[in-house]
Order: sequence, then structure tokens, then C-alpha cells
Amino acid sequence: MNDEQTIIQQVYAAKENIQAADQLIGTYMPFIKAETAKFLKRLPIEGHDDELSIAMMAFHEAVGGYSRTRGAFLKYAAMLIKSRLIDYQRKEQRHRKILSLDAPTMEGDTTLGETLTDEREPHEEIVSRNATRQEIEELARQMQEFGITLSDVADNCPKQQRTLEACRKALQYARENPELLEDLLESKRLPIGKLTAGSGVERKTLERHRKYMVSLLLMYTNGYEIIRGHLKQVMKGAAAR
Amino acid sequence: MSYIVMECHPGYAVLLDEEGRFLKAANLHYEVGQTVTNPVLMQQKPAKQRHILRWAGSGIAAVAACLLLIFGISFYQEYMAPYSSIYLTINPEVRMDLNHHGLVVGVYGTNEDGEKLVEGYDARGKEKTTVADELIDRAIEMGFLSEGGQVSFSIDSPDDILFQEYGIELRSEVEEYLKGRMTITVAVFQGKYGYEANTSSSSTASASSSGSSQPPASSKPSSSASSSSGPAKGQTGSLPQGSGDSGYGDSNYGDSRYTSSNDASVSRPVRPSSAPSSSGNSSSGQKPGNSDSGYDDSDKNETNSDDGEDDSGYDSPESRPASQAGDSEYEDENDRDEDDDEEDEDNDD
Repeated sequence: MNDEQTIIQQVYAAKENIQAADQLIGTYMPFIKAETAKFLKRLPIEGHDDELSIAMMAFHEAVGGYSRTRGAFLKYAAMLIKSRLIDYQRKEQRHRKILSLDAPTMEGDTTLGETLTDEREPHEEIVSRNATRQEIEELARQMQEFGITLSDVADNCPKQQRTLEACRKALQYARENPELLEDLLESKRLPIGKLTAGSGVERKTLERHRKYMVSLLLMYTNGYEIIRGHLKQVMKGAAAR
Repeated sequence: MSYIVMECHPGYAVLLDEEGRFLKAANLHYEVGQTVTNPVLMQQKPAKQRHILRWAGSGIAAVAACLLLIFGISFYQEYMAPYSSIYLTINPEVRMDLNHHGLVVGVYGTNEDGEKLVEGYDARGKEKTTVADELIDRAIEMGFLSEGGQVSFSIDSPDDILFQEYGIELRSEVEEYLKGRMTITVAVFQGKYGYEANTSSSSTASASSSGSSQPPASSKPSSSASSSSGPAKGQTGSLPQGSGDSGYGDSNYGDSRYTSSNDASVSRPVRPSSAPSSSGNSSSGQKPGNSDSGYDDSDKNETNSDDGEDDSGYDSPESRPASQAGDSEYEDENDRDEDDDEEDEDNDD
């Protein structure tokens, strides 16, 4: 049962460390493929079948949710993968009847997939995507100076609407008092005290979602127009409130 | 809702939604910077470290539960499990269960009136004397006990010493308690079906018969007299009310002719042969102190005494005169018994 022990150790390591997690997925890619194949009743094609990506995400979820009490890790992961695949399939069926993009068109000279006009692929789109990516990379770099990664932020993000709005309130206060943002950039720390005092948001909330708050505030410093544009609608609404 | 793809990993991607949320989702061949609309979001659960704590918590809880159980059992044995029982009988009969330490853990009615007596009464943790007093009060209130009545305690305890101790305690307590209020007879027995415990059934008489100076018992050998926990055919159970005497030793008896210095309240003729007190008797009356004749004369005595003595030569709970000094009356009764046996026309011959 040595394998079992190794796996468990790896899983626990992956819980803490994102790179370890990525590596683990790489290691178990064959396993994930096999599970997907069981579900699809055919071999998954990488790069084509979304199901594979979903299975991989499910594997990630398994790493996060696993504890020794749940028995063998792989069994647990397999179960989770199957659940997610079922959910996904249900969702897809609900939205449209499934047609394979590889099926031939009525004319028979090409596949359906080719005939689709991808409205999201004009040139501007590509350009804007690049620009966005650049902003994002800059943001990630800045966050690194705070010791934060985007994945951390995703984990740290408030789940409840109420909490989310509280954080927004704090953000609003910071926007109105730009010196706070400067504070942030200089000290590389979140000025919780001032934020709490100024915005009236509970200290505990801000502390619990420190990483999220940092990234939120960062996005409102210089250079993140695209990202801000993305948020603008909702944020405006919040500001108006 | 549209999402910007912020970061890509083999197993997932980080998306930013329009409301400022960062979310993990399946990486459906995304590119960073891409905008997507139909992500498959990851379900993120919290609970991680809790597991260890939970294990520790349940372990501790288990140990604590065991300890409590052990402690609870020993506590129960010590303080609550009945060790001795005392049967309090007036007319209603109740049983008091006591623990090792002599505290009452429960009272139960053992006959119908007894149940009525204890209805609604919670005796747990009280001293036996307190409970006795309170039950007596109740009995008086409810009409079960009145002037001249009798209260008897039958003490059932595996420990002899306790029995003695409880007996003395209860007797003195009840007498003290009712002093000046009522004249009651108190009897103490050992065991459930009480062998008679004490000789002296002192009573809480207020006005004991005035005549009764308690003379020392004339030395009549009385087999069954005195502090024998001898096999008296004692009975618990309802006792006839009455001023204690079933005719024994009542001052009424003491017709003037029979007043003897010895048997103060008992005006009985004393048997000649064994009775030094005969002299006393003779002084009083016709009888030369012995006598049959004495008996004969007092027909009513006779009859009464017969009645009284019919059951046995042994002292019985009923036949305890209220105002007697203990010993003397025993002797008298004995005498009478003997007299009856020998000289009583009715009985013998």
C-alpha cells in the first residue's frame, strides 16, 4: 500500500502548493483520460473535448476536498469526475440539442464546425485580447509583490453577496481617497485600519478577504483600464448607491 | 455575464466576472485575456483543517463521556441507591428509602392511605427526621393521625448499628416534635415486620397520667420485658388508636383501691408470690395483694386484660399504654398474663 501513502502525501502537498497541484494533474493525466473515456464511451480527444477539461477541473476539486476519512484518493477523484461530467452533460443538453461539430453538413463537403462563424474572432478581438492579457500579466506581477497569486485571490474571494458588497464599499472609499492607494503601493500592505475607519466595513471582513481586497484596490490604480472597463457597469451601480 | 480569463492552469482557469468576483472554472482551452460567457465553475468548499480538530474533539468527548459515566455510577451507588428502609406506619404506611449516609432518597406509600399521604411530597435529600416530621404533619392534616394515635417505625437496614442509631434518632425526634401538641405513641421495630426493638415506648404525652410516677419496676422477672429485640411477635400495621392502652395500665384502672406505689398508673393487682408490691396492693384494698380475687373483683379489668392479652404473652405494639413508664407496665402485663394463665377462670382450668 505504499502507493496509497505516496498519493495521499502528494495530494496534501498539492493542497497547499499550486505548482504541486499542476504537477499532480500532469502525473495523473492518463487516469483522468481513462475516467473520461469511461464516461464518454469513447476516447477523449485532447484539445477538442471539453469534457476532458472538466474532468481535470474535477480532479482539482478532488485535491481540495480530499481528506483521509474519505478513503482512497483515486476512488474519490473518479467519483467526483463522474459527477461533474454528468452535470456538464445535463447543462449542455438543456441549452441545445447536441450536435457534433464534426458531423458533416447537408452539402456533405465540410463539417458543421467549419461553417460556424465565430463572432468572437475578428481581428480587433485578438488585439484586445492581447492587451487584456498584458494588463493581467502586469496585475499578476504587482500582486506577486504582495505575495499573492491570482489563484489565491480566487480562493479568497467572498462567496456571499453581502460580503462582496461590503468589500466594494471599502473599495469605493479607497477610490475617493487616492492617498490610500498610494499607501498600498508603497508599503505593500493593505491599510486595513484606515479602510475600516473610513468605510465603516468591519475589520474582520477585510482581514478575512485581505488578498481579494489587495487585488481589487490594485485594479484601481494606474494602468488597468480594460479590466476596470469590464467591471465598470456593476461598480458604477455600487458607487451610485 | 461575461468573464475575463485571468490565469490558466492545466486543471482550471481563474476568471474575473463583471461584479468583481474571481472564480475558478474548468479550463476549456482558454487563453489569458479571453472573454468567455459560459464557464463551468468549480465548486469550492471550505473545510480543511477542521478534520484534525474534529477528530481531537470527538476523542476528548468520548473520554469525557466515559469518565462521566463512571463517576455517575459511583455517585449513584453512594448517594442515591437505597441502603436502608424505614417503614413509617400510622394507619397509612409509607416506606422511606435511605442511602448509605442516612439521607432519604425516596418515599413511597405501601398501602393506599400511604400513597395518599406521600402524594406530591418530595423527600429526596432530606434528613430522615425531617421527613418523619413532615409526614407526621401531613398525617395530622389529613386526619390520619390524631390524639392518642401511634406512630411506628420499622427499620430495615443491613447494618445493626445503623438500626440502633436511626431508632433512637427517630424516636427522640418525633417525641420532641409532637411534644405539647399531641399525645402519641412511638414504636420502633427492627426489620420490615418489626421485631420489637425497644422496650420503652415512651410517648409524647403531655399530661401523662399524673399518678404515674415512674416507679422502678418491681423486680418481676419478665421474660419478654425490656430491651429485648427479642422475637416479639411484633406487627407493623395499623394500630388501633386509642389512648395507647388497650386497657392496660390506664389510670382508669387505677381504682383507688388498686393504687399501688409501684405500678403507678397501672392499677393492677399484683400477684402475690412474686410481687413484693403486693403489699402495696393490699394497702389499697381488700385484696391481700394477690390475687385472684383482685382479678375477680375487677371484672372489667379481667375482661379487658383478657382481651388485651389474648394475643400473646409477648408485648405487642398495640398494647402499649400511653403514659406508662416502660418497664413497669411490661411487668404488669406479664403478671397479668401469668395471672390469666394460672388464675383466670376463663382461660384456664
